[in-house]
Parts: sequence; structure tokens; C-alpha cells
Amino acid sequence: MKNAHPLLQALEALYPPERLLTRDAQLLTYESDALTAFHSKPAAAVIPISEAEVIETVRLCHQLAVPFVARGSGTSLSGGSLPIADGLLVALNRLNRIKSIDPEQRIAVVEPGVVNLHITHAAAPYGLYYAPDPSSQSICTIGGNIAFNSGGAHCLKYGMTSNHVLGMKVVLADGAVTEFGSDSLDGCGVGPDLIGLFVGSEGLFGIALEITVRLLPQPERYRTLLAAYDDLGKAGDAVSRVVASGMLPGAIEIMDRLAIQAAEAAVQAGYPDAEALLIVELEGEAPQVEAEFAQLQAMMRASGAFELRSARDEAERARIWKGRKGAFSAVGRLSPDYIVQDGVVPRSRLGEALTRIKALKTKHQLEVANVFHAGDGNLHPLILYDGRQPGALEKAEALAGEILALCIKLGGSITGEHGVGMEKRDYMPAMFSEQELDIMQALRRAIDPKEIANRGKMFPSGEAPALQQRGMHPLERQGVISRE
Amino acid sequence: MTTQSKPRAVAELQDFVRGNTLVHARGNGSKSALHPAAADIAIADLSLMRGIVEYQPAEFTLSARAGSPIAELKAALAAEGQYLPFDPLLPERATIGGTVAANLSGSRRYRYGGLRDFILGASVVDGGGRAYTVGGKVVKNAAGFDLSKFLVGSLGQYAIMTELTFKVFPDAPHFSSLRLRYQTLDAALAAIFFLNQSIFELDALDLLPAADGWSLLARLGGGADALPPRLERIRAALQSETAPQAAEEVADTARLWQPLRQLDAAFVAKVVLPPKRIPALERGISGCQRRYSCGGNIAWVATEDIAALDRALAALGLAGLCLQGDCEKPLLGKAPESILSARVKAALDPDGKLV
Ligand SMILES: Cc1cc2nc3c(=O)[nH]c(=O)nc-3n(C[C@H](O)[C@H](O)[C@H](O)COP(=O)(O)OP(=O)(O)OC[C@H]3O[C@@H](n4cnc5c(N)ncnc54)[C@H](O)[C@@H]3O)c2cc1C
Repeated sequence: MKNAHPLLQALEALYPPERLLTRDAQLLTYESDALTAFHSKPAAAVIPISEAEVIETVRLCHQLAVPFVARGSGTSLSGGSLPIADGLLVALNRLNRIKSIDPEQRIAVVEPGVVNLHITHAAAPYGLYYAPDPSSQSICTIGGNIAFNSGGAHCLKYGMTSNHVLGMKVVLADGAVTEFGSDSLDGCGVGPDLIGLFVGSEGLFGIALEITVRLLPQPERYRTLLAAYDDLGKAGDAVSRVVASGMLPGAIEIMDRLAIQAAEAAVQAGYPDAEALLIVELEGEAPQVEAEFAQLQAMMRASGAFELRSARDEAERARIWKGRKGAFSAVGRLSPDYIVQDGVVPRSRLGEALTRIKALKTKHQLEVANVFHAGDGNLHPLILYDGRQPGALEKAEALAGEILALCIKLGGSITGEHGVGMEKRDYMPAMFSEQELDIMQALRRAIDPKEIANRGKMFPSGEAPALQQRGMHPLERQGVISRE
Repeated sequence: MTTQSKPRAVAELQDFVRGNTLVHARGNGSKSALHPAAADIAIADLSLMRGIVEYQPAEFTLSARAGSPIAELKAALAAEGQYLPFDPLLPERATIGGTVAANLSGSRRYRYGGLRDFILGASVVDGGGRAYTVGGKVVKNAAGFDLSKFLVGSLGQYAIMTELTFKVFPDAPHFSSLRLRYQTLDAALAAIFFLNQSIFELDALDLLPAADGWSLLARLGGGADALPPRLERIRAALQSETAPQAAEEVADTARLWQPLRQLDAAFVAKVVLPPKRIPALERGISGCQRRYSCGGNIAWVATEDIAALDRALAALGLAGLCLQGDCEKPLLGKAPESILSARVKAALDPDGKLV
């Protein structure tokens, strides 16, 4: 796409030069997301500052059949915000206003480029917060969260992004603008749940322009317990006990030896030397939480933990979580490169999944660190490799593929929160039947007949941009964000 | 004469859909307003496609055929101390498929979320007679488009559900309920807003007109030991912050939390609204019986004049759904139509067969 291209000419009329980027140096920032193995150069990037500009941009793309990719902060781990070569990149960071907060009805209306954690900051004076907490929350945007239905360690009780969206205004890929949902807690309430359909559509349906989210009251009390085990299986069994007890913790997380060691080296969390650590956090009204916490401690003692620690204050709680939340970047220090997967297995088959992953890593002679949302069966195996060695990346990818196949075989999913994107599109046929994929494609084409929105993502097709060295997101290297 | 079929298997339903021009799905027919009665519409009665397909309590997920009565699912879950947190509205006669199609969550929706927050996946037969599954069976799944949530509220007009999978939760072992009396609607709403920003985690919160003003019903669930002090704290806070006329503990019965229980008129409807619109709705529907559920976010309204309710909602820009009664069109007020639904219809039911 040269400047002579009709789209660029039209965009020039819409954007001032500083918000229409076409030079290589300007576009460098947008060449990849947090799946750094893929790079691709768009023909141009635009930085809209109003809803109207976004709508007009999408309409132009549709008219001229030029593919576009929406981008929030570019922290996608699956290549979701990877630009399309010679297409348009729409950077939404400047649409970052929190339009209103209504603490009495516990809702906030935000633009798509608002950073996840900024909603919580704005709601904090009212004793409220925005619940979904991806580890990247200090930088990722609500628009990106919507595309992937992102979650975090604390999504066990109140759900992921989709469960916190009440209303939306979107521009579909063909330029049609539509609104659905409401200010009511019942969201769509009457008529099909369009919010549920749009959230998780990975940018293939269009661009979210305005989002109404629900806020929750900050819990009165947190109680956090750390349990150390000499065997990963024991930690897995302990999770089953907690779940079976009828308690509903806010978070249940597990780390294995390699992850613990890495976290220890990186943030000196003061973790015990163990094969596995289990973190269970209760939250809610103090009388209820204290009663359950006593029960939880007894249960953990009986589960064969060799050491139990409970956070006595907010500082200790923060320290327990610091090690966990920083574990991924910490693992990055142990190895020049790694791949992170986020497959899901039924909760009752967690132990089996971990045993099989252990066998797979021996077979492939690779190191794998495990950090995961045990409460909902969402694994996060980190496969370590050295990209400088020929064939190492391919070997790591082969192992990653076998782990995904394992998740499907056990009745789970290839992704719990990171999305399919570019990375896992070739595994879709293993998870869905041909007919199911056909239906999804038909749906996509009914909304986007020219297939211009995020073309090449989610569905197995087309050529992939060049595979390159993987590594940490630049912000991870600086310690600004960390992975889960 | 209307063609009717009671399929027992998916293949039978597929044949039925393929063999008819207009098809309407029905569970047990408990929501009379939702069933068109035209001679040219063939009825697919799902009531024989019933039963739990898979339920492992340790997994906290449940799959059942769409024609399963809610009561049957609730009983199976209760035996394991579990429940459907969206609290299906009509537990006696309704089927799970009909509950999803109409999107009817009860008062306990207030605590953890509605139907859409707990549906994980579904098997369907679409307007083209194709059978497939949407969503998944595990509690977390970000692969592919989430058509299962779209089915919530879809009134069977895009695809007919044959099987549904839900996430379930452990239920609280004990409950207590509190009734607060306020002289004015404003005072009662102020109490709701106070509670919304408080640390109290209510299982349910409903507002209903009373002889001398308004009643606010609050429910707490939890462990036996913690419940009395929690109830005392909340009562004390409400007394000092919201000045109710009275604040008394009342017997926590199933009847108390059945929002349609006292609504008795020719038509019963659901209205979706944020609590701040309640005063406006009150002016528009004076004379109707009503109860505001889920912290004032859903209104259940009973009326003899459905056309008047329809007009009132349209004037207020609110959407409603008539559930009971012999009405021509169940969708009331502001139509929830979006071009996005039309696109889904084109993909799933291109011939416009499902009504
Ligand atoms: C260190 C690290 C830790 C992470 N931890 C977690 C975690 O704990 N949990 C988790 O779920 N994810 C996690 N992620 C992944 C990532 O942060 C999330 O997927 C996040 O939601 C992406 O947000 P973003 O603003 O960076 O979106 P981008 O990467 O910019 O975009 C992601 C996708 O969203 C689309 N998109 C962006 N804006 C819009 C819009 N307005 N409308 C429609 N589509 C849009 C894009 O086209 C793209 O497909 C982590 C990533 C990193 C790098």
C-alpha cells in the first residue's frame, strides 16, 4: 500500500500527520505484540482520538477492502494484535477516558483504550473496584480484555471480563454501529446476549467503542494461606479438598519447584523450599472469612503440607502474591526464551494433566515450569528453551502442541484466557469439528463479509508472518508487568 | 391443524426442523406468552428430551438435556450441597431450555450473576437443521466465538437447544432474611445504594411496595456461626445510615424469595432497568402489581393491560418481555434489536425458520 493508495489518501483527510503513521521508524512499535516470535509491518497506523474517527476509519477500510487490526496496549500473548502486512493498524490508546462512574449503581462507562487498573483506581474512593485482574492489568486495555475475555487469579468467584460487562457500543467490521446491553445489572436482559457473543471474539467482529462495566465493593477481609508440599500431586489433591469443602475462595493458585525457585531468585518472596506451593485466598465479610479460614487451615494441615503460612497483614499478603504474580518474568531469567500456554483441563483431572506434562518434558528433554490457576483448571506451563540453538524453538513448539492436544483429550480447551490469535489457530480443528468451524466462519462472514477485521487470526488459514526469536515483552524485561 | 413433534433424539429434531417451514420450540409451556399459536407454525416440544447427561459434583459443572425440568436439576444439585447461582425463576414447571431461551434468573442472581454468567456450552439444532455444539464443558474457555451466551434470551429464534452445560457453585448452608420498611421510594432506593457500596455480601435484595410504603428484603447466606453476627451488623448499619421505619428478621422461606408469588393478573412481564429508573417506571405503570428484584435491576410486573405496559416502556426507553398471558408480541417497549442479532440470524437460520 503506497501513499497513492486510496485508503491512505482518505485517511489523510481524516487524521493530522502526527496521528497517521506511515514511516518504518514510526511503525516499529506496532510490529508485534507480546508473542514476540511474530513480526509484521502494517502499511500504516492511525491513532484516533474520537469514536467518530474510529467509525469513519472502519467504514473506509470496509469500502476499500483493506484489512485492519485494532490494538490496545499490544500485550496479547497469542499474536492477537499482530498487524496484518500492508493492512491498517488502529491504535486505541488515546481513547482512554473514563466517561462516568456511578458508585450508587456500581457501574462505570469507559472508552476502549482505558487501562484495566485505571478503572479500579477511579472506583477506589467509593470503596469499589473492577474485578478482572490479568497480571498485565497495569498496562492492558479494556478493549483488549474484551477481545479475549481476559481473566486473572481472582476470577474464580466473580468471573472473567465477560461477566463484568453490562453494555457496549461497537462498530462492526462493515462499519455498522450498534449498541446492546444496558445500565442494569441484567445487561442485555431481554433478547439474545450480544455482550456474551462480542466478548471473546478476538477483534474479528469489529471494534468496541464504549463499554459499561460493573464494579464490585472491595471485600472487607482477605485471608491468604500459603501451603508447601514435597510433592506436586499432594498440592493438586489439596485443591480438590478445598473445592469439595463447599468454600468459594477468591483465588487458588499453584506453583511448582522451578517456578518457586525462579520467583525466589527474582523477588525474594521468602517462599519455603518445596516441590509445590499452593496459595488459597479467602475474601468477603470478616466474620464469614475468619470462620472459613480456621476450617481451611485445618484442612491444609490434614492435606500433608509440610509448612503453612498465613499472611498476618496486607504487607505479608502482598509478598505472597508478589512471588506468584512475578513468577513468569522470573522464569524468563532462568532461560533466554520460553513459550507460555494456557490450556484448560477439567478440575478433577489436574493431577493427571500434571503427571502427563512431566512425562512429556522428559520425552522432549526440555524444562517446564508450572504456574497455574488451579481453581479453574487453567494451566500455564512455561516451556524453557534457548532460541540461539538451532531447532530449539521447533522442539519447544512441538512440546507445546502436545500439551494442547493433552488438554483437548482430557476434555478441556486450548486456551482459557489468552485467546487463539495467530499462535493457536492451527489447533482449532483439533478442538472443534469441521461443522463447528464452518458455523463460526459463516457467522464471521455474516458480520464481516470482506473478512477485514483481524484477518488471519483464530481460524486456520493463510500464511503466517515470519517466526522469529521469542523472548520477554519489553515491559516485562523492565519489570513493569508480569505474566500468569 | 398444527404440526407437533415430541422428539426424543437430536436426529429426530433435525428431521423435524428440515421438514417444516416455520418451527417453534417449546419446553413445558410454562411461559404462556412466549408461544405463538399460528396454524402454520410447527411445534417442536422438547419435553421428552430430558435428564441429566453429566454431573460430577467435584467438577462443579452440570450438563442436562434442554427439556429437563428445573426442579429435577435443583434436586440433584441440592443433594450435593450445590446450586445454580443464577437462581432459575420458575423452579416448579419450567424446563432449563425454556429458562435459558427467556433469560429468567431469580432473586439470587444478585450475589454472583445471571444465567449468562453460568452457562458454559450448549448443543443445538439450528435453523438449517444442523446439529453441533457451541462453547465448552470446562469452566474456562476462550477458544472460538461464545455462541452459548448468545443463546441466553434468544427465545429459540436462532437455534433450538438440546443440551446445556452450566458452572455450578457450592450453596450456602444457612440463610437469614431481613425486612426493612421505608416510608418513601427514595428512602428505600437510598438504602439500596448504601448497600451497593458497603462490604455486605447479600445473597439477594428485593424491593416491593407495601401498604404503608416500601419493603426491602435482604438475604444473607453463609456458615451458621457467622450468620447471626453478620445479620446484626447489617441491621445496625442500615438502622444508623438509612433510618428505616422497621428492621426485622423474617422467616427465610422459599416463598419469600419467589418474586412472582404475589403477582396475579392476566399478564406477567419482566422489565430490565437500572435502579435509578424505578421512580420513572413507577409513574408510568401506576396500578400494576410489581416487585423489583436483584437490587432493583429487574422488575416483575403484573398487569391487566399489556398494551399500556408496552407503551409505557417504549416511552421510557426500557425493554420488557411478557411471560404469562395471551399477548400478541412478547417483546415490550424498546426493542432489543441490534444489527448484530440480524447477522447471527443470517448465519444460523438463513431461511428464517425458527420463530
Ligand atoms: C506479562 C503479561 C501478563 C499477562 N497476564 C495475563 C493474565 O493474567 N490473564 C490474561 O487473561 N491475559 C494476560 N496477558 C495477556 C494480555 O495482557 C491480555 O490478553 C490483554 O487483554 C490484552 O490487552 P491489550 O490492551 O494489550 O490488547 P492488545 O494486545 O492490544 O490486543 C489484543 C486483542 O484485542 C483486540 N482489540 C483491542 N482493542 C479492541 C477493541 N477496542 N475492540 C475490539 N478488539 C480490540 C486486538 O485486535 C487484539 O486481537 C498477559 C500479557 C502479558 C504480556
